[in-house]
Amino acid sequence: MFALVDVNSFYASAEKIFDPSIRQRPVVVLTNNDGCICALCDQAKLLGVKKFGPYYKVQDMLRDQGAVIRSSNYELYDDLSNKMMEVLGRFAPRQHVYSIDECFLDFGQWVPKEGWADYALMIRETVARELRLPVSVGISLTPTLAKVASFVAKKRKVKKGTAVLISDEIRRRLLAQMQVGDIWGVGKRIASRLTAMNVDSALALADACPKAMRKQFSVEIERTVRELNGTFCFDWETLPTEKKQTFSTRAFGSPVTDFTSLRQSLAWHAERVAEKVRRQQSAIQVLTVFAHANPFASSGHYHRSVQHTFAFPVNDVSSLVRVVSKAATEIYKPGVKFHKSGVGALALCPARQTQPDLFDESKSKPELMQCMDLINQRYGKNTLGIAAKGVNVQWSMKRNFLSPQFTTNWQDIPKITC
Amino acid sequence: MLKVIPVFAQAGISGFQSPAAEYRQLTLDLDELLMEHPTATFIGQAKGDSMTGVGIFDGDLLIVDRAATASSLDVVVANLNGSFVCKLFDRKASLLLSPGSNQQGHQLREGDIFEEEGIVIRSVRLHRYARQLAQCLR
Repeated sequence: MFALVDVNSFYASAEKIFDPSIRQRPVVVLTNNDGCICALCDQAKLLGVKKFGPYYKVQDMLRDQGAVIRSSNYELYDDLSNKMMEVLGRFAPRQHVYSIDECFLDFGQWVPKEGWADYALMIRETVARELRLPVSVGISLTPTLAKVASFVAKKRKVKKGTAVLISDEIRRRLLAQMQVGDIWGVGKRIASRLTAMNVDSALALADACPKAMRKQFSVEIERTVRELNGTFCFDWETLPTEKKQTFSTRAFGSPVTDFTSLRQSLAWHAERVAEKVRRQQSAIQVLTVFAHANPFASSGHYHRSVQHTFAFPVNDVSSLVRVVSKAATEIYKPGVKFHKSGVGALALCPARQTQPDLFDESKSKPELMQCMDLINQRYGKNTLGIAAKGVNVQWSMKRNFLSPQFTTNWQDIPKITC
Repeated sequence: MLKVIPVFAQAGISGFQSPAAEYRQLTLDLDELLMEHPTATFIGQAKGDSMTGVGIFDGDLLIVDRAATASSLDVVVANLNGSFVCKLFDRKASLLLSPGSNQQGHQLREGDIFEEEGIVIRSVRLHRYARQLAQCLR
C-alpha cells in the first residue's frame, strides 16, 4: 500500500502558523518578485481569486476585502517542509519526498492494526498537532491511485482530508468521475490526444490496453494504466531526483534599460545556477542565457536568448560568468525595457564523469568553488560572491510583503506576550 | 539525526596515543535536553512581566512543545484573540493565570478566540547580551 500526503495550500497555511492575527483572514502568497499569485488559503479562494494569476489585476479588490498579502518566505517553508517530512517518515518504512509539500509513503506488505482509515486520520492529526499544517492523505494500492485518493480526500465533506481507496467497485466509480487529465503523469498534451481518441474519463484510461498505450504514447503511460488497475509498477528511480536541467530566472523589480544592470543580473543568475549544479555534483554542458521585455505589454516586444555549449562540462562560476558576460553584449539592445532575465543549464552530467582532456583549457578551480560554498553555508548566503553581479543592485528580488523567518533566524522568533 | 562519535583512522604508531581515546563520548548537546519532540517544538521570546511568578522574565526564551502531554495546570503559549500569549492555564476552570503580577486571571468566555499552541516545557534565561537576538540597526 501507498500513501500520498500533501499540504493544503502549503505557503498560505505556513504563513498562518506563526501569525495568529491572520488565521481567520484571507491570505494570498505571491511569488516572482511579487508579481504572481502562488497560493491561496480557503478564505481567499472564496473571494474568487485564481492561482497563478497576476497580482496587479486583483490588487485593489484584495485590499478592499481585507486580504493579507505575503511574499514567498522560502526560508520558513523550507524549514517547515523538512520537519514535516521527518514527521511523515515515522509512519512508513520507506518514504519518497516528491516536492516541498508532498511525499509518498511506501508501506510494503504492512497493514496497520487499526485499519487504513484510522491510520490516515492519525497521520493527518499528527502533522496538524506537531506543525499546525493541514494535510490531505490518500491511501491506495499504487502511487498513482494514492494520488487519486488524495484528489478525492480534498473534496470530501465527511472525514475531510483523508481517503482510502481499496475496493474495486469504489475505484471504478471514482475513476469514472475523473477526467483523464486529472491523473498523475498525464500531461495536458497527452490528455487532449487521449480525449480525441474517446479516452476521456480516467476509467476509460484504466480500461485501455496497456500495450497499445505504450505503442501510441510511451512506457510511462503504459505504467499509468497498470497502476490505475492496482498493479504497482512505478519506478522510484525514475523520479527526478537528480535534475537534468536547472534554471534561475526572475523578473526585474523595475524595468532595466542599461547594459550594466542586465549584465549584472545575468551574472547573478549564473552564480545561482553554478551553485545549484555544484550542490547536486553535476556539471553543465549547455547553457542558455536570455532576457526579454514584458510579454504582456502592448508594445515593445523583445526576446533574445543565447546558447553556449561548453567543450568540457563546467560548474565553476567564473566559467559561467565569462559566458554570460559575452552573451549579455549579444542580448542587450538600447531602448528595450527589459522585464526579465535568466540563465539555465540545459544539459547536465555528473561532475565525476567529466574526463580531463589534453586540450582542456578550462580554468576551473574546484578548490576555490568548494571553499566559497563552505563559507556561504557557514556564514549565510551571499557572504562571498562574484563581483560581476554588482552590489546594491536595483533589479534584485522584490519581497515587499515578506513575513519574518520565524524558525530559522534568531531575530525573527515569535514574540509572546506575558 | 544520527550522531556519530568521531574516531579517526590511524595507521602505524605516531607518538603516544591519548590515554582517554577509548573513553571518548559525544559532547553534551543542549538541544537534546531542551527539546523532547524536535519536530513539534518552536522557540519564542517572552515579552512582559506577568509570568515572573513561575520564573519567566522579559526577554527569556520559551521552548514550546506542541506534542507534550497536557496536565491540569500548564504554562502554555496560546493564541488569544489573535495574538500569542504565555499564561498559566487552568484547564478545568478555563482560566488563564498571570502568576507574579497583580493582574486578575482571564476567564475564557464564549466569543474569545482561544487556540492552545503548545506547552512551555523549558525557559531559558539569558544573563548576558546575546548578539544573535539583537535586532540589526538598519
